[in-house]
Amino acid sequence: MTDISSTRASPIGKVSEELDVLAGELEMHFAQDFKSCWSDLEFEELALRAFNAQFQHNPVYRRFCEGRNAVPTVVKSWGNVPMVPTTAFRYLDLVTGDHSSVRMVFRTSGTTSTTLASGRHLVSRPSLYHAALLSNFREYLLPDVEKIKFVSLIPSPAELPHSSLSYMVGVAADTMSSETHWFVNGEGVLNSIGLRNVLNDAALQGEKVLLLGTAFALVHWLDELAGEELRRLPPGSRIMETGGFKAQTRDITKDQLYKSLSTTVGLEPHRIVNEYGMTELLSQLYESNLTQPNEIQAGHTPPPWLRVRALNPTTLEPVAENETGLLAFFDLANLGSVCHVLTEDVGRVIGGKVHLEGRFPGAEPRGCSRAMDELMASSRVTRR
Amino acid sequence: MTRDTFDAWAIPGSVEVPGATSTSLGPEFSIRSLSIESHWLNRLADILIKGSSRLKKRKVADLAQILGIAGSRFLKEGDPLRTKALELLPRASGLSAPMARAVLDGMAADWVEDRLCGLLSNEFGTSNALDGFVKQNGCQTMAIGADLCVQIVSGSVPGVGVTALIRSLLTKAPTLLKPGQGDVVLPVLFMQALAVIDQDLAENVAVLYWSGGSSDLERGVLDRASVVTTYGGDESVESIRALTPVTKRFVAYHHRISVGVVGSQALTSGLVEQTARNVARAVAVFDQRGCVSPRSIYVESGGDITPEAFAGYLASALEALEDDLPGGGLELEEAAALHQVRGAAELLAASGSPGGIYHGGRASWTVIFDPDSELRCNHVGRVVRMEPIENLSDLIKRLSPYKEHLQSVGVAGVEANLEELAEELGRIGVSRIAKFLELPFPPSPWHHDGGSPLRDLVHWVDLEEIGD
Repeated sequence: MTDISSTRASPIGKVSEELDVLAGELEMHFAQDFKSCWSDLEFEELALRAFNAQFQHNPVYRRFCEGRNAVPTVVKSWGNVPMVPTTAFRYLDLVTGDHSSVRMVFRTSGTTSTTLASGRHLVSRPSLYHAALLSNFREYLLPDVEKIKFVSLIPSPAELPHSSLSYMVGVAADTMSSETHWFVNGEGVLNSIGLRNVLNDAALQGEKVLLLGTAFALVHWLDELAGEELRRLPPGSRIMETGGFKAQTRDITKDQLYKSLSTTVGLEPHRIVNEYGMTELLSQLYESNLTQPNEIQAGHTPPPWLRVRALNPTTLEPVAENETGLLAFFDLANLGSVCHVLTEDVGRVIGGKVHLEGRFPGAEPRGCSRAMDELMASSRVTRR
Repeated sequence: MTRDTFDAWAIPGSVEVPGATSTSLGPEFSIRSLSIESHWLNRLADILIKGSSRLKKRKVADLAQILGIAGSRFLKEGDPLRTKALELLPRASGLSAPMARAVLDGMAADWVEDRLCGLLSNEFGTSNALDGFVKQNGCQTMAIGADLCVQIVSGSVPGVGVTALIRSLLTKAPTLLKPGQGDVVLPVLFMQALAVIDQDLAENVAVLYWSGGSSDLERGVLDRASVVTTYGGDESVESIRALTPVTKRFVAYHHRISVGVVGSQALTSGLVEQTARNVARAVAVFDQRGCVSPRSIYVESGGDITPEAFAGYLASALEALEDDLPGGGLELEEAAALHQVRGAAELLAASGSPGGIYHGGRASWTVIFDPDSELRCNHVGRVVRMEPIENLSDLIKRLSPYKEHLQSVGVAGVEANLEELAEELGRIGVSRIAKFLELPFPPSPWHHDGGSPLRDLVHWVDLEEIGD
């Protein structure tokens, strides 16, 4: 998190009350209305208000929309709201509202392997972000317990202040952990002895844990263990795994990783939940296997304030249910930047859930998981 | 071969054919490739090596003639092989049908006898150094081709594989060619043509497709080769290089980019439209997939037409080309990248950056005017960036960072001081300067990536004066 409020003057001046009012309403909805089904009508109304606010208070986005003749008086449904590509976050700040109110800057990986600038997401309303991430995290990872021991293979926010993934885990730990252990440092080095001890103690004491890690970190850890099985984690333990499966050490499928993890720590594969997120979206999508154990790999469920569509790659029109397309997200948690985001990820949407088929990092490293992967990969060089 | 499936191999008749598997290249077309195992491939390589001494006895002029006869069939209207190539190429490579025709015409122009003789004389002079010892600087010397030349091509530019194959055969090297997935059709058809004319020569060649990165498979043949050439991205060249023993001659055609320069002399109101048409054509051929495709155009300020206005002219020319040489379809991944770069360019323009963008909607052509070099983009489809430059020395400054990967520079309106400019470009790694219209198809004797297309494939044996 970086306070840059003193470095930028506001280009707009006073932020309208309208934006603040909407932010307040959304924050309340995020915190309280997770369970209630948001009707299409309700979502539409909020989405169009968000578009209107972004059109009014994000001058770059406004000119972009005007260039496409897609202005609030013309746009009648959220699907027609102009989308910004995820890459745009690499070139522009895309802040809606007063620049001086920006409180945090999250960055995608600025890597040594490419000449590309890193993406950035400037966040003005941490409380809105917290509300979104906490209720979502609770719903899919801790639906059954108030607090749990966090064992993280994701570096702490103190170590990686610009990582939205670290920040998310940090905020979740602040309110939902009984105890938090961080076992990967900012350089990507894994403290495997500490990790082993903590898991061992938890197993002996029958204390449930939430183990969190990127696919890459987990693979790295399993490689170190070389097939050794640890004590079974107590029932009720769970794992949050995030990130792609093109691990840089070796290729491994999701199934293989889950099987191997499950054998190593003695948890059923359905206790492993995949999180799908990116710096450009402030909401995350989770698999719902903890709450619906029969629906393993039944896709990622968006929170009610986010809608996802698969689009025809040529026309950008929505494809039919269950057909593959480019994924586009309308995320109300992005009120402070731009809600409607077009990604390079590919998948199908079935019953509102996303079935991911591929991310195209071939073009460029993206997302926090990838940044972490590269950290760990580079740390290997200097490790013993 | 069935209507929709193409058998992507050509192997000597004495080798038994293993089973095959299909890979779909679209809804209506798939290629079948052999299910290859190491021991089979190694044996094939050994058979090719065994034929080497027989091949070495042939005269190079004879080889040029035969290869030329086979190659010229691809240019002859109505020849069944040309017809088949034109039918299959769009489906196998993703290029539009008119584009595939232009690419075939451009590539095959170099496969005819007089071009091959020109290439030989350019590389070896009038001597017959490939046929025996010739006098050179008071000593005798001879060029010996490989016992086995393994050529691994990745990429999807049709014709690259055949050109590679012809080059090594001209050096009398038995050849194992693995073409790029989008380029399997032409080498296989070429081998069919060759087998009709000269079965004996055809027995010295194997064309096989397997998916790249199969290191177990590749290691065995790389061990057996005496010359290895690779064409592809840095990553794939790197992986082949890592597998190749140090004792082998290794010729790498790694990732390359080309650019264009438009001087103010080509931007008079009388010339600008023609200039734009020529640049557009260079962008359009290969849909920017070729190493010769100009990814960025640097436009000199100070002419009648500003660089910014020239972007508009280029856009109109690209739009007009959609009628004659329509762009091909994009893969999902490419379409995704296209939306990203277009959207980012539009947003940058909306943010007050001095740039701008023109694009063809569903047609992939896109001109991005990017004076501050802000955008990094994947070149998918006909995407071209344009940057204004104050003068030509500004150009050198802007290109220097890409030194490792520069290949061709298309030029217009820079006739004054051309040699001086060319030398400076050469110093930052450029290996070819040409008119835009010539950019897509270099002449056959060109110094490919700065090297020598045939001489890089041979070794020389010097016979000094012996005795008293």
